[in-house]
Amino acid sequence: MAEDLVLDTAIRDWVLIPLSVVMVLIGVLRYFVSKLMRSAQLPDAKIVKEGQVIVRARNLRAAANFIPLKSFRARRFYYSNEENGLLFVPKGQAQNAQAQMFSDPNMAMDMMKKNLSMIIPQTLTFAWVNFFFSGFVAAKIPFPLTQRFRAMLQNGIDLSTVDVSYVSSRSWYFLNLFGLRGLFSLILGEENATDDTQRMMQMTGFGFDPTRSLGAEKDGLDIVQHDWTMPKFERRAESVLRKLVR
Amino acid sequence: MVTKSEEDQLNRLETQVDNGGGGAWEYLCLVRKLKVRRPDKVLKHGLAILNDFKKRSALGTEEWTLCEQVAIAAMDCHSLDVAKDCIEVLRKRFPDSKRVGRLEGMLLEAKGLWAEAEKAYSNFLEDNPFDQVIHKRRAAVAKAQGNISTAIEYLNKYLDTFMADHDAWRELAEIYISLQMYKQAAFCYEELILSQPTNPLYHLAYADVLYTIGGLENLQAAKKYYASTINLTGGKNRRALFGVCLCTSAIGQLSKGRNKDDKDSPELQSLAVAALEKDYKQRAPNKLPLLTSALKSLRVSS
Repeated sequence: MAEDLVLDTAIRDWVLIPLSVVMVLIGVLRYFVSKLMRSAQLPDAKIVKEGQVIVRARNLRAAANFIPLKSFRARRFYYSNEENGLLFVPKGQAQNAQAQMFSDPNMAMDMMKKNLSMIIPQTLTFAWVNFFFSGFVAAKIPFPLTQRFRAMLQNGIDLSTVDVSYVSSRSWYFLNLFGLRGLFSLILGEENATDDTQRMMQMTGFGFDPTRSLGAEKDGLDIVQHDWTMPKFERRAESVLRKLVR
Repeated sequence: MVTKSEEDQLNRLETQVDNGGGGAWEYLCLVRKLKVRRPDKVLKHGLAILNDFKKRSALGTEEWTLCEQVAIAAMDCHSLDVAKDCIEVLRKRFPDSKRVGRLEGMLLEAKGLWAEAEKAYSNFLEDNPFDQVIHKRRAAVAKAQGNISTAIEYLNKYLDTFMADHDAWRELAEIYISLQMYKQAAFCYEELILSQPTNPLYHLAYADVLYTIGGLENLQAAKKYYASTINLTGGKNRRALFGVCLCTSAIGQLSKGRNKDDKDSPELQSLAVAALEKDYKQRAPNKLPLLTSALKSLRVSS
C-alpha cells in the first residue's frame, strides 16, 4: 500500500483548475450582488453618538497625562457620573440591545439577506461538486494522515484500502472555500461579502453591544491614575535648550 | 496634519507643474488626499485638464471628482461663473445627488445669499441628519454673517453628537478666543491635546490661552506647556521661547516676596534667552539690539 498511485493529469486540467476558477467567479459574483442588494442603512443617532463618545473617552484615557489634573477629573466625572454621565449605562438597558436587534425588522431583514447570500451559493456549489466530481481520487495531500480522516476526505471513494492522503474533490472544494479568502481580499478590497468564515465566527459571538463597550471604557477610565507629565517636560526642555545653545 | 515628507512631495510637484512639466493630475490627487487649500493652483491646472478634451476623457470616471474639486477651488477664488459651469455639468450627470446639492449650497454661500444657503442646508439636514460636512457648512454660514453666537450654538450641537471631530473643536476654540471667552477656549484646546498629544501647535495655543487668563497657577501651567512645545519642536519654536521668558517674569512678579517659586527649572529662562539670542544673531542680526533690550526689561523684573 506504500506504492504511489499515479493520477491522470487530466484530473488536474478538468477538475482542480475548473473548480477553483468557478469558486473565484462565484465569489466575485456574490460580492457584486451583495453590493447591489445592500440597502442604504440609515445610521441610528444613538449609535453614532456612542461611537464618537467611545473615541473621545479612549483619547482621554490615552492622553490623560497631558492635561492638568483638575481638567482630567472634571472630564472623568462628566463621563462616569451616576445620573447623566455619558458612559454610564443602567443595568436594565444592557440586556435590551440583543433583544432589540432581533425584533428590529430592518436589522432582521438585513441579517437574513446576508445569511442567504452566503448559504445559497455554498449549497449550490457543494451540490454541483458532489454531482459531477465524485467517485474518483482528485488529489494527494503531501503529508500523511490518520484513518480518522477517511470519512471526511474520501467521501466518494468506496475503497477502504486507498491511502488516506488520496482525497476526493469534495475536500478540494473545502480547501478552496477557506483558502480563497486571502485571494478575495486582494482582488476585491477589504470589505467583501465572501468572508464567510469571519462572518460565521461573528455570528457565534453575537451582540455588537455598544453598551458593553461603553461599560468597558468606563471601567478603563476609572482605573486611570493621573500623573501630570508637564513638570518632566519642563526639565527635558531645559536639556534640549542647553544642547541647542551650546 | 500633513507630514514633512508629504509636504516636500507636494511642494516638489507644485514647482514641477508650475514650470510646465507634467504631473498635474498627481498634484491634484495629492492636494485632494491631503486636504490642503491651494485654490489658485487647483483652479489653473484643473481647468487646463477639463478644457482639454483628450486629457479629460483619459480620466474616465475620475473626471467628476476633478469637476467637484475645481468647483470648490473656483468658489474659493471667487470665479463664480467657472464654479457655476462645473456644477451644472455635475448636475446634468448626477441629477439626484446630495453631493451636487451640497455644492449648489456652497455656491449660494459664495454668492453671499446667506438666507437661501441656510435654507438649502437645513433641508439637507432634514433628509440626512448625519451629514457632517453640511452641519459644519451651516455653522460657517452663521459665522460669515457675523452671527457668532448662532455659530457657537450650531457647533456645540454638532459636537454633542460628533465629539471626535477635532477640526470642529479647533474652530470652536478660535471663535471663543475671538470672543475673549478664554476658559471655554481652554477646554477646547484640552480636547485637542487629548486627541493629538504630540502636536506642538495645540500645546502652544493652550499655553497662550492659559497665559492670557492669568493667575499664578495658570501661569505656571502655561510655562510648562511652553516647555513641552519646546520639547516637541526641538527648541526651534521662537514663540514658545518668548512665552517661557514672559511666563517666568510674570510668575516672578506675582510671587515676589513669597519663596514659592518652583525650583523645577531655574535655568529655563536664561536658556531660552540664550537660544533666542543665538537665533536672532543667525537670522536677523540687525534686530538683535531690540531683542536684548526687551529681554533685559523682562529679566530685571524677574
